[in-house]
Amino acid sequence: MGKIKKKGESGAATNYISRNMAIKKLQISLAQFRRLCIIKGIYPREPRNKKKVNKGSTAPKTFYYKKDIQFLLHEPVLHKLREIRSHQRKINRAIGKKEWAVAKLLESQRPEYRLDHIIKERYPSFNLAVRDLDDALSMLALFATLPMHSGVIKPSTIKNCARLVTEFQHYVMIAGRLKKVFVSIKGIYYQADIGGSDVTWIVPHPFSQDTPRDVDFRIMATFLDLYETLVGFTNYKLYTDLNLVYPPKMKNETLDSGLAGFVVETVEGKGFLDGIKESETSDATSAPNRKARKEVEKRVKNLASTIGKFSDANAEQEEMDEDADEEDEDKDIPSAIVEPTDASEMVPSLKDAAKISTTRTASNSHKLFHSCVFFLSREVPRNSLEFVIKSFGGKVGWPETSGAGAAVAESDPTITHQIVDRSMAPGETRHDTRDYVQPQWIYDCINAGKLVKTKGYHIGENLPAHLSPFGGGKEGYVPSEAALSAIAASKGVTEESDEEDAEKDAVEANVMEADAEEEEEEDDVEDDDEEEDENKGPLDSDDEEQVYQAELEAEAAGLSFTEYMQKKDAEEKGLSKKKSTDTAGKKRKISAAEAEAAEEKELAKMLMNKKERRLYGQIEFGRKKKEEEAKKLLDRRVAHQKTEAKKAKETKNAEVATPAKAPAAAAKSPAAVKSPAAAKSPAVTKTPAVAKSPAAATPKAAKSVKSTPSKSAAVTPGSSKKARKA
Amino acid sequence: MKGRERTKRTADKAEKEKEKEVFAEISLDQNGTDSADEDDIVDADGNLIFGPSETVDGEEGEQELPEIIPDYASDDSDEETNNTIGNVPLEWYAELDHIGYDINGKKIPKPKGASKDALDEFLDSMDDPNAWRSVLNKLEGENVVLSDTDLDIIKRIQSKMIPEKDYNPYEPTVEWFSSQTETQPLSAAPEPKRRFIPSKTEGARIMKIVRAIRKGWKKTTEELKEEKEKALPKFYDIWAHSDPDAKDKHMHIPAPRMSLPDHRESYNPPIEYIPTEEEVEEWKALDPEDRPQNFIPKKHPNLRSVGAYDRFVQERFDRCLDLYLCPRMIKNRINIDPESLIPQLPSRKELEPYPTALSVVYEGHEKRIRCFSVDPTGKWLVSGSDDCTVRVWEVLTGRMVKSWKFEEPVQDVKWNPNAEFSILAIAVENDVFLVNPGVSSKEVDEVTDEVFANIWGKESPSKIDWKKPSAAASALGHRVILNFSKNVTTVVWHRKGDYFSTVCPDAGGAAVSIHQISKRQTQNPFKKSYGLVQKVQFHPKKPWLFVATQRYIRVYNLIQQDLIHKLHPGVKWISSMDVHPQGDNVLIGSYDKRLCWFDMDLSSKPYKTLRYHKSAIRNSTFHRTLPLFASCSDDGTLNVFHGMVYDSLDQNPLIVPLKSFKAHKVVDSLGVLHCEFHPVQPWVFSCGSDNGAFVLKLFA
Repeated sequence: MGKIKKKGESGAATNYISRNMAIKKLQISLAQFRRLCIIKGIYPREPRNKKKVNKGSTAPKTFYYKKDIQFLLHEPVLHKLREIRSHQRKINRAIGKKEWAVAKLLESQRPEYRLDHIIKERYPSFNLAVRDLDDALSMLALFATLPMHSGVIKPSTIKNCARLVTEFQHYVMIAGRLKKVFVSIKGIYYQADIGGSDVTWIVPHPFSQDTPRDVDFRIMATFLDLYETLVGFTNYKLYTDLNLVYPPKMKNETLDSGLAGFVVETVEGKGFLDGIKESETSDATSAPNRKARKEVEKRVKNLASTIGKFSDANAEQEEMDEDADEEDEDKDIPSAIVEPTDASEMVPSLKDAAKISTTRTASNSHKLFHSCVFFLSREVPRNSLEFVIKSFGGKVGWPETSGAGAAVAESDPTITHQIVDRSMAPGETRHDTRDYVQPQWIYDCINAGKLVKTKGYHIGENLPAHLSPFGGGKEGYVPSEAALSAIAASKGVTEESDEEDAEKDAVEANVMEADAEEEEEEDDVEDDDEEEDENKGPLDSDDEEQVYQAELEAEAAGLSFTEYMQKKDAEEKGLSKKKSTDTAGKKRKISAAEAEAAEEKELAKMLMNKKERRLYGQIEFGRKKKEEEAKKLLDRRVAHQKTEAKKAKETKNAEVATPAKAPAAAAKSPAAVKSPAAAKSPAVTKTPAVAKSPAAATPKAAKSVKSTPSKSAAVTPGSSKKARKA
Repeated sequence: MKGRERTKRTADKAEKEKEKEVFAEISLDQNGTDSADEDDIVDADGNLIFGPSETVDGEEGEQELPEIIPDYASDDSDEETNNTIGNVPLEWYAELDHIGYDINGKKIPKPKGASKDALDEFLDSMDDPNAWRSVLNKLEGENVVLSDTDLDIIKRIQSKMIPEKDYNPYEPTVEWFSSQTETQPLSAAPEPKRRFIPSKTEGARIMKIVRAIRKGWKKTTEELKEEKEKALPKFYDIWAHSDPDAKDKHMHIPAPRMSLPDHRESYNPPIEYIPTEEEVEEWKALDPEDRPQNFIPKKHPNLRSVGAYDRFVQERFDRCLDLYLCPRMIKNRINIDPESLIPQLPSRKELEPYPTALSVVYEGHEKRIRCFSVDPTGKWLVSGSDDCTVRVWEVLTGRMVKSWKFEEPVQDVKWNPNAEFSILAIAVENDVFLVNPGVSSKEVDEVTDEVFANIWGKESPSKIDWKKPSAAASALGHRVILNFSKNVTTVVWHRKGDYFSTVCPDAGGAAVSIHQISKRQTQNPFKKSYGLVQKVQFHPKKPWLFVATQRYIRVYNLIQQDLIHKLHPGVKWISSMDVHPQGDNVLIGSYDKRLCWFDMDLSSKPYKTLRYHKSAIRNSTFHRTLPLFASCSDDGTLNVFHGMVYDSLDQNPLIVPLKSFKAHKVVDSLGVLHCEFHPVQPWVFSCGSDNGAFVLKLFA
């Protein structure tokens, strides 16, 4: 027989240690323990069985792993903390004795600790460090906006925070890692892809922060200490992996100039990357560019491994990329004659090098603003927009009043878009060659992965909703805008690129046309393009998709599913009565079978045991709650659209009553512009019929559904009924 | 050393002596010329050091004082003397012609008057006018004449005055260190360097530091700074030699990321996300922890109008607190299809026949129907009610055939299961009536009446009184009346129809009694009670009796007269019990909503406990021939199940719910009070209230 086990001498009882015991064991104060825990990343654990750990009591108590605490015992920082403590006592004594010189001397000799080893220990690999970047970046971004001389945080720390965040953003910018942007009421969220994992951080809006009283800045400062180190090392790694010098140099030491203030330097020499950038855009004839390309070739070998991933993942997109680029850029670049069969066989050619400069951007979408030149007017968030536009390959300028380093001046004729957030001042000149859009357009373009139409984004227009690229809420409700854009995305890449072209055409056309006709022209161009699409478009799109689209359209129009079904049935009835009776019978049959199945399910629930029944109940409860939430949202949307339609109708009637003499006045009110379109488009009424109609006709309807979200949004059951009557 | 010093000193003295002699000569010369100081010349014999002495009279007033030679003039121990014999009494030289030796060791001759006797001395003193002021110098052995100054001093000392004449003890004080603080320095000159006296202890301390610095034990601030710069660059490639696939340390739980924002958080969300004013109020009324999101969605017309978010710092701070304060634990998220939790059962269609719909309603009772029973042929239905009537109905038509009126509410009514007889057992208050309803065929009626006719002749040992009803009553069909001391609640027939059992729960040991009609006999099988007896039931095949008390079921063998089984259903209060026709399975309903299926071969614990009724189960019953069972409850429902019992022992009974009827309305929290199957058909009867009336229903 083995030794009799005593209670509380092994197992859970000895694996855990309470906080007070831990403090006693380490012989430090609670504040120091807290500091140590934050730095070392040690956190309390919830024992699986609290009674076993807490001597039979279930009172709330924090427990740590005993091994974690033992791990702290050997921490060099712990010793340093003790040193600091005794040193502080010396300083206090000197101050008490009014020996200012001694105090000053001691102050300058205060022991310091470094956190390198802790970073290495907590994040044994770089990927693990990237995992924790979310909080770190958000924290640094917050502290970068805190007032410099509030006395809460040292000005040097604030400067360092600002610098680290800007450095990181600069990396994201030049590496083209940015994925998504979201302007929320809390701040601006950015999501970048760093080494295959997403890093999301939030930058507060550039206003002074309200610092609540109950916030303990000592805790925040400890975290900040760790995060500064973490982000610093991460930045170093990221920069050096790109063969860049870290820390990047600034043109002037103040961070006011933002991202534009950085001078990019590679290990090989200064201005190297600028060469690459030029080679992307301009002809590769000049000698320095050639030299640069050679260097690129050299670098390919170093970067080949990292690029492998991206090139596999984005093979298709890159191909397209090449196709697009080949014509204008790569004519003189020698390429491998035989297609490489294996990735290892790949001979790094100049073509590849050019590719690299784009694969640094990870995907096609990072050339989104390649052909655009932006100018930021006053009162737009310059730092954010600069970061975002440059990340996606755009050129951007701003007035001198908002900082140095602008790439283009306001008067530059190449500017295609001017970002404005306020109607023009009386003195300002309006350039005909530009599109004046609100900042949201940029963010929406990025999230959509294409240049969306500028209609609706012009100054004075009601902006379309800015949706979260991170998805909807828990309730599973999808707003109609998101649903329509999802369809557009699923339609395929070719159409998307076509549409982009169309967009470009539209912009170019706009350059030629006069102001007043701008919008109409755009529409026309798009319509033409759509027609072309219809002719070219794939004819094999099946009915299901059409039905799905029709449903979505109906949802956008504010019909619930049952309403839609009823409507659909009614439509079918109208088409052929015989058929409709058949379907009605079928429906009844289906419902009977369904009722039967439901009853059987209900009866089967009787046999569930207590545990299962409870679990089932919980799941069902959650599901129902979500459904209710979603329904509430849908209902509210429907109600809103009804009132909107009513308003539109009224205004239309008013117009009819008093014939509008000035077309310009009509053009100004967007509702008035929309309403005839809404009345015209019989999208909802048509679609069920379309589902049955020959395949050749279907793409047209589908296209109309997709391309006119704003129109269909205005369609209400009332108006559609009217249309049907007509 | 000391000796040498002394000799040196003596030598010095000798030199000085010479000088003095020289001075003396000069002064003699001076004296010779200058007659003013005649006294002094006379007085000073050899050792004169004072020079010209102060005038005793003070005639000359301000006179230049001679320079003071700083030696030990006032100290007589060091008085210059020729005689160096030391501390030797002079009388030792009394017989000799010298008195001692000088510094060179030469004899000093005795002065002339030294060898004088007392008489000579006296004579001399009488001659010498200065005798009164002469003192013998013992060492030199000659008389020294005291000067006027000396005499004056002596006089002053004798009169206890300050010896020095000119000394003024009352000179005005000069306050070198006064109580008054001088605001201005006395001198503007800087402290001269020569006045600095270095501290030795400080010097030692400094030397200690210097030594430490030289030997490298201590570092200067510059060195420290340099070292710091040299130590490590601020940032470097910390992951240069790390394994890219390295894992977290053991048992580490990474903190969950912050949830990503949804459309609600947008500065320009879709219109449906904007809350109404009531919703905002509701949101504000909630505790911050309970709020679904920590902000109120708001629509901004443009980006310019977006303000600062006032809780940003707070949110980051909360996140920090979460990171280091929250206990972490891995919780497995349940990610199961809820449908998979529902048991997979065979389709109902395969399990037909079973009752599916209401077919007949038996109306007529005026008060609540407590009990009913179906005739073994399945043609007739008898029901007992609180309106004190027992009525017989035709099953197929719902027509009332017969009715008996009693004085008290009917507790229980049971039809004899043997189709050869036609007997009803009706429990009313303390009595049990055996009635021949007279609805069966003539032959059966006759056989039944014959049985009853035969019983009266025999001797009966029973305690219970078997009474013959009155003529009027027997005309109505009453055959026997059994009178009990307590309330009879239940009557149960044995399958053969000769025995029946009654339960009077309040009767203690005599709660259960078994009666045999053919012998007109009543027995109480149990001497003492084991609890409040709820129900009894005969085993369909064996001579066993099931007795259900409040919590347990005891199974007795009536022949061997012992306990065979004790079943533990684990319910609070048993309401009903039925035994499967094959005898191995028992069904129990309880007032705490549970239905227990016992497989007696398997265990004394229930094989299955079902809890689907929302209130107390009133009755549960098996079908006599088909694999069906049913339960009814106060929630107004009647549930029919498929309950298949297999012959093979390795196969458990199959239970499938088939139908749930919302049979009756719930009135006064009472729903369906009783249910029973048709003996042959897959039909089930129930009783309860319906639209204000109390009815029986047949579901077929």
